[in-house]
Amino acid sequence: MLARLRSPNLVPMLVVALVIALLYYPLMLFANLPVAQRALDSGAALECDSALECATQLRSPVLPSPQQLWKGFANLLFPLNSPNAIPLNAAVTALETLVGLLLATVVGFFFAIGIVASRAFERSLLPWIVASQTVPIIAIAPMLVVLLGQYGVQGWIPKAIIAAYIAFFPIAIGVAKGLRSPDPLSLDLMKTYNASSWQTYLKLRFPASLPYLFTAFKVAMTAALIGAIVAEISTISFQGIGKMLAENSRAADVVATWVIMIASAVLGIVLVALVGWLERVVTPWKR
Amino acid sequence: MEALKVGRPSPAARPLPWLGVAAVGLGFALLALFTWSWWDRSDLAGTGQKLLILAGFAAAAYGVARVANFVAAVRTGPLVGFIPAGLTLALLLLTVEALLRAYQVPAGLIPTPTRVFATLWAVRDVLLQDAYQTVVLEAFTGYLIGCGLGVVTALLVSRFVFLERGFLPYATAFSSIPIVALAPVLVKMMGLEWPSKAAIVAITVFFPVVVGTFRGLTEVSPLSLDLMRSYAASNAQQYWWLRIPNALPFIFNALKLGTTLAMIGSIVGEFFGAGGQGLGFRIQIEAGRFGFDIVWSAIIVASVIGIAWYGLVAWLERRMTGWHVSFRE
Repeated sequence: MLARLRSPNLVPMLVVALVIALLYYPLMLFANLPVAQRALDSGAALECDSALECATQLRSPVLPSPQQLWKGFANLLFPLNSPNAIPLNAAVTALETLVGLLLATVVGFFFAIGIVASRAFERSLLPWIVASQTVPIIAIAPMLVVLLGQYGVQGWIPKAIIAAYIAFFPIAIGVAKGLRSPDPLSLDLMKTYNASSWQTYLKLRFPASLPYLFTAFKVAMTAALIGAIVAEISTISFQGIGKMLAENSRAADVVATWVIMIASAVLGIVLVALVGWLERVVTPWKR
Repeated sequence: MEALKVGRPSPAARPLPWLGVAAVGLGFALLALFTWSWWDRSDLAGTGQKLLILAGFAAAAYGVARVANFVAAVRTGPLVGFIPAGLTLALLLLTVEALLRAYQVPAGLIPTPTRVFATLWAVRDVLLQDAYQTVVLEAFTGYLIGCGLGVVTALLVSRFVFLERGFLPYATAFSSIPIVALAPVLVKMMGLEWPSKAAIVAITVFFPVVVGTFRGLTEVSPLSLDLMRSYAASNAQQYWWLRIPNALPFIFNALKLGTTLAMIGSIVGEFFGAGGQGLGFRIQIEAGRFGFDIVWSAIIVASVIGIAWYGLVAWLERRMTGWHVSFRE
């Protein structure tokens, strides 16, 4: 991350951000003006006189003004442990995502070993695992939550299970690729050492699969986060980013949904960056 | 010496695994027999019947494994190669059907596969309308817009180093953002009807296409670039004859990934409000009132369309980039 910040990208990135920020304000005014004009014409009691002024403080703006976003952040960030603030809810969602990813890794490894070790397993199950990837798996989330709830699984656990369910495919495929990645020469060497297949896995195949595992983790992390949020939305939940999204979306609090959108974007980027950091720690030889 | 053998024996060289085929037949027969005998019963099955199901499952699973080993060992076409997977699916469906009936799980909780298929047939008109709304209006429109804009943006980004440095890092970061969070904002901004979902789809498809296309346009062999230069090729010619053909496999990868993203984007978008139609809307509503047979039907429709769409793009890929290394035998 630091290396990237020091890279020659920094200045162009800042310029692009600045251009977008400068374009945003007129665009926001342009988008909000008709709404503001209509609000003025309707004679509602507003705290502004001209349409231009009203455009920056509409209750449900098409695009929120920077001042509104700023105020929204100030409202939603503090206090840190409030059930209605972003930090606590983001932490809950992050926990669900991470537990889900851990679960997905265990199941993914199991499937990957099955795929690598048994051709019958690969032939009979792999087509369905691949097909499940082209399927909008997310559609199953609402049903799984209700179903698990019926059997007494409640709270953050069903969300983690759904996150795992959605994240396990990229991990299984990535690890299977990784387990197959050692070159034949190394495998032959293991054979000349008379290594058992268990030793071959432990000493050669697993270490070789690590880089693939981390590449898969980056995809799986985003998938798991999406799964966790969708699971929170489609059930009665008391905590989590998804619950905040659903609540504020129902309450038609436009500024709040924008703030939560930005917060969950940051959460996604942080979680993926975490994987990148872990990768550098665990596989230093890959640099 | 296994590794030295070139090619695999033809099917004729190996005897058919009759034991496996017989085991599959026996297992399926046992499971079907139980399902048939318990069709109208509403009491729990006894230990004997449960053992029957177990035996049927075990026999069929053993048989499928034998058949799969056989198919894996011989050189076959795609249709024969699909037999083990097809048998596995049939086995799973039959077992689930038998177990649900044996334990009398209420249909409101987990509907049996036969019930789901009956429902699918009964509500096909509604689901087809939902699919039209979700797939044609929302997913496909958004997909076309997102992919088109993505390719154009990648062309620009690859042409100007400044954009590559300033814009591409954002595009990469964007792929780690959860799509769901965009949905409520865009639905609020553009209304409940299909354009808001098309916008969600376009945005989610856009970034992977930009990143993929850019990689394809820039990861060109330096030798080819030198050749282009020695021919005094103009920039446009360089793109047309070298960079764009080189990018096609990368673009198609992104397009394939995009089909899944498009389906997910449109369905999730509908969770946040839809105009009374759409597969995501249907799933959300029916899951809320325990109409799981309809939910499963909608999932089947979405899955079949998702797989068909992916297959279509993969077919196009074969047609247009058949020369690429990844398709060589």
